[in-house]
Amino acid sequence: MQLVYRGQALAFEVIYDRHSDAAFSLAFRMCAQRALAEDVVQEAFLSLWRSGARYDRSRGSVRTWVLGTVHNRAIDALRRRTARDRGLVAEEGIEERLAAPERERTEIEFARRDEAREIRDALDQLPGEQSRVIELAYFGGLTHVEIASMLDAPVGTIKGRMRLGLAKMRMTLGDPTEVCNEC
Amino acid sequence: MNADGPHIDAEGCGGNAAPYVLGALTDEEHEAFLVHIESCAVCREEVAALQIVAQALPVAAPQLSAPPELKRRVMSSVREDAHRRHAERVASSRTSSSEGEGERRAPAWSAGGSRASAGAGAWLRWRPNLAVGALAACVIALAVVVLASGGGGGTRVIRAQVTLPRASASLSVSDGQAQLNVAGMPQAGAGRVYEVWTKSSPSGQPRPTDALFTVSAGGAATVGVPGSARGVREVLVTSEPLGGSRVPTRAPVIVARVS
Repeated sequence: MQLVYRGQALAFEVIYDRHSDAAFSLAFRMCAQRALAEDVVQEAFLSLWRSGARYDRSRGSVRTWVLGTVHNRAIDALRRRTARDRGLVAEEGIEERLAAPERERTEIEFARRDEAREIRDALDQLPGEQSRVIELAYFGGLTHVEIASMLDAPVGTIKGRMRLGLAKMRMTLGDPTEVCNEC
Repeated sequence: MNADGPHIDAEGCGGNAAPYVLGALTDEEHEAFLVHIESCAVCREEVAALQIVAQALPVAAPQLSAPPELKRRVMSSVREDAHRRHAERVASSRTSSSEGEGERRAPAWSAGGSRASAGAGAWLRWRPNLAVGALAACVIALAVVVLASGGGGGTRVIRAQVTLPRASASLSVSDGQAQLNVAGMPQAGAGRVYEVWTKSSPSGQPRPTDALFTVSAGGAATVGVPGSARGVREVLVTSEPLGGSRVPTRAPVIVARVS
């Protein structure tokens, strides 16, 4: 990151190579359109390049920083879309065309695959009403108000499902820290 | 618990922590919550606990490979930006050594945008866009060239000829590096990509570059032309099969004559 601060494109290229697949995967999961997902990733990385000095190591890894930026950009993009556009279905078959190729895996890649499987399992184990609100919020870019309207449920109920779902996932994923239930 | 925060609602303090970490607050709620957690340790703790999970959620998405042309687009812009920063530092040092000479800026429409350029002299020639039907017989002609600099140091912005309706393109040349900026371009088509070529003489053969690109949903793209622009007479763009070609398989859709 020190080299990125100094404006070295080659250093930034290393960051791009390490995180672009995850970034694109997240953007495509949220946008469901390749062109829009590419725009989101491009905007996010260029934003990171221009704001590299704002990376705060104490607040998480570079990967978290990158994916957080992609997530925010994707939410912005989704909320700019009209209600009509939101009805668009995903591009069929793109997962097959862009599926990460089978290749020699590094230990880091193996670890990431294991982590991904654990996260997906933890999400799948939630009651449907909780996993749905989490997916609609995180991957769908919807506000809790929009989700409440969509599911015809009170806003407080939606917030409660989000919180319970995340807390259960945390327990499932092995973090022993209790989530405060008294707030 | 701080009960004074603007986000407090019927659910009580902490109710917005989960939607916050999921990005599900409205813009107004988000701003208010950021202010609130500055003074609420309970909500900060709740956010910290839930954020660990939220930050892990991206990997739950099916993992795909980022398209190679996306990297070319991103890194092209990054390299151009790095080059511009360097040029600006150099220009800044020049300016400081020649105070009183004044400064002239590139036209607002130029791809260089805010890039300042010193010097004088501008020349341009223009020929309107050709219709699509003329694509096969693409007559290479110069469109507009604006020399937005002088004294040998600034940025030249060259408006290129484009054979596609409603599309436009310009080439920025600075310190021996060139960047192509396009707007209003259609997608290259299924299984196709745009490829950048260079020519060192009008009658010479186009040389392939490794600059392959697609355009955004809005038809825009910024592409660095690999290598030095010195000695390059023309920059061309054609639509080619994915992966690019060694020789053009279609007539150029963009032609920028550098000199």
